[in-house]
Amino acid sequence: RAAAAAVGYLQYRRGGPGRGLELRALRRARRQDIDDVGHKYSLELELEDVLDKGRTVNCTAEVLYHLGSKSTAPDVQATVQGELRSTEEADKEFYNRMRSLQKELVAENIPDSHGNVPPELEPIHLLAWVASGYVIWQNSTENTKFHLAQVKRVKQVKRSDEDLQFDYVLLLHEMVSQEVIPWEVTVLWHPQRGARAPRDRRQPGHA
Amino acid sequence: ANMKLLLIFSALLGVSLCLETFVGHQVLRIKTKNEEEVKQLQLLESLEHLELDFWINPSAPALPVDVRIPAVSVQSVKAFLESQGIEYSILIEDLQDVLDKERQDMAESAQRQRSSSFDFGTYHTLDEINKELDHLASEYSFVEKIQIGESYEKRPLYVLKFSTGGSKRPAIWLDAGIHSREWVTQASALWIANKIASDYGTDASITSLLDKMDLFLLPVANPDGFVYTHTSNRMWRKTRSKTPGSICVGVDPNRNWDAGFGGPGASNKPCSDSYHGPRANSEVEVKSVVDFIKNHGNFKAFLTLHSYSQLLMYPYGYKCTRPDDYAELESLGRAAASSIRSLYGTTFQVGTICKTIYQASGGSIDWSYDNGIKYSFAFELRDTGRYGFLLPANQIIPAAQETWLGLKKIMEHVR
Repeated sequence: RAAAAAVGYLQYRRGGPGRGLELRALRRARRQDIDDVGHKYSLELELEDVLDKGRTVNCTAEVLYHLGSKSTAPDVQATVQGELRSTEEADKEFYNRMRSLQKELVAENIPDSHGNVPPELEPIHLLAWVASGYVIWQNSTENTKFHLAQVKRVKQVKRSDEDLQFDYVLLLHEMVSQEVIPWEVTVLWHPQRGARAPRDRRQPGHA
Repeated sequence: ANMKLLLIFSALLGVSLCLETFVGHQVLRIKTKNEEEVKQLQLLESLEHLELDFWINPSAPALPVDVRIPAVSVQSVKAFLESQGIEYSILIEDLQDVLDKERQDMAESAQRQRSSSFDFGTYHTLDEINKELDHLASEYSFVEKIQIGESYEKRPLYVLKFSTGGSKRPAIWLDAGIHSREWVTQASALWIANKIASDYGTDASITSLLDKMDLFLLPVANPDGFVYTHTSNRMWRKTRSKTPGSICVGVDPNRNWDAGFGGPGASNKPCSDSYHGPRANSEVEVKSVVDFIKNHGNFKAFLTLHSYSQLLMYPYGYKCTRPDDYAELESLGRAAASSIRSLYGTTFQVGTICKTIYQASGGSIDWSYDNGIKYSFAFELRDTGRYGFLLPANQIIPAAQETWLGLKKIMEHVR
């Protein structure tokens, strides 16, 4: 579960429309109970870039869950060993394509019921991982394990500044409770500056 | 520049190309930077004797130009582009290779169509699944379709009985789809049914198994939920029973069994996806299986398929202590996981439910184990979260194949 929180953090910080990071294996884990502070997990992870599946990348991470507090995000520190495959060209191409669209992009159900993702929507799918990574990191506890189940809906919002903006409705699957939770997230992305998630909220109401 | 172009290609004027194969043909993607370069390509296009086949014609600088070049001209066209400083990349190294592969794929697909009209490598509706169950029952004398009950919305609960004779032989139970959104499980169950039926008589292990034991397979344990995932909500997990006094529908059928019912790891809130229901066996889908197994009285193994997470688990879920048969079940679980891994390298973690996934009360294999069925295992199939419940259809058969190896390992031990 701590690994899932760490991976969420990494997806947010290092992911993009040209890079999706996945947990391949949890090699080692250690827990330390720190009095008056919380529980700290030290992890050795093996990650995989889904677009560079031939190799794995090692990563060490520390996840600190704060004592008693259900509403603060765990502190995560993570170090990726070695270089991740460059996405500069793919990022530029995606950025230019999105900026030059006549009509703002709108899409639903990624993947669809059968697990299909049309190739031209793959970058949008990977950017959704970045968005879900943020939400997962921010909302993880020792009793949760989140995964992105599906992108319910995504809408591009044209901006006057240089960022791309996508408003997502994500379905997050929480393993322990087995709930599938709709979550609204706004993502701003720029090829050099990376991603930011300025707004997010659990969608009100219940299916 | 135009003169240069004509000079380079005049040498090729005399060549006549008979395009019966595409061996050595390359497809290039050319990225033009300005109008001048576009004009160069348009000039190239006009040289008919080169028999260049533009898949995307040169029109504007911003758009790529894709062109298929016959083998004889590849080097000279590249030399020309390079001399003009025009950027290009190779989309297809050898077109014939691509065509050969395509022909092979199509032949294999046609072969599959001929041998069985049911495509096991795609997701199906409930009606399609039921039709295939009928087909299997009619095609194999030792396969029988029986109905063990009805769902809340009155859909039949169909079980395939595999039996080569005897009277109430020791039996193995296998179910799938108790959680309706876990689509790879119903799909895998169907592949497995077909595998068992078609391999009896030729595969030593299956033949020896069915000569001694019966197998009962319930491919869609929660048909109401399954239909709902097709018509309304792909993420639906529970049954579709109405709860008096609540607007929320459905009970988690794998929290509804009489094993630590109502304990930790299940919710008492009707709107929760792990709602255990008003009482144990309140769900007709669960009660039908319980009654069937109790009435039969001679089950030796109880196996159930879920997704996702790639886990192979044995009791207990409702408590975090080890079952009496811990050593044997752990060892058998590891052997099964090893068999699974042998096919595609897919790793399954082995352990008790409580230690491996979470504490969960009212689960089916806890009930079967506490009712004397020692070999009780729950599988969580592919994947580990990349697609989760939405596993792409091209992974159905690999998932079914590897899972089958694990099941076989367990069944051989039971035998």
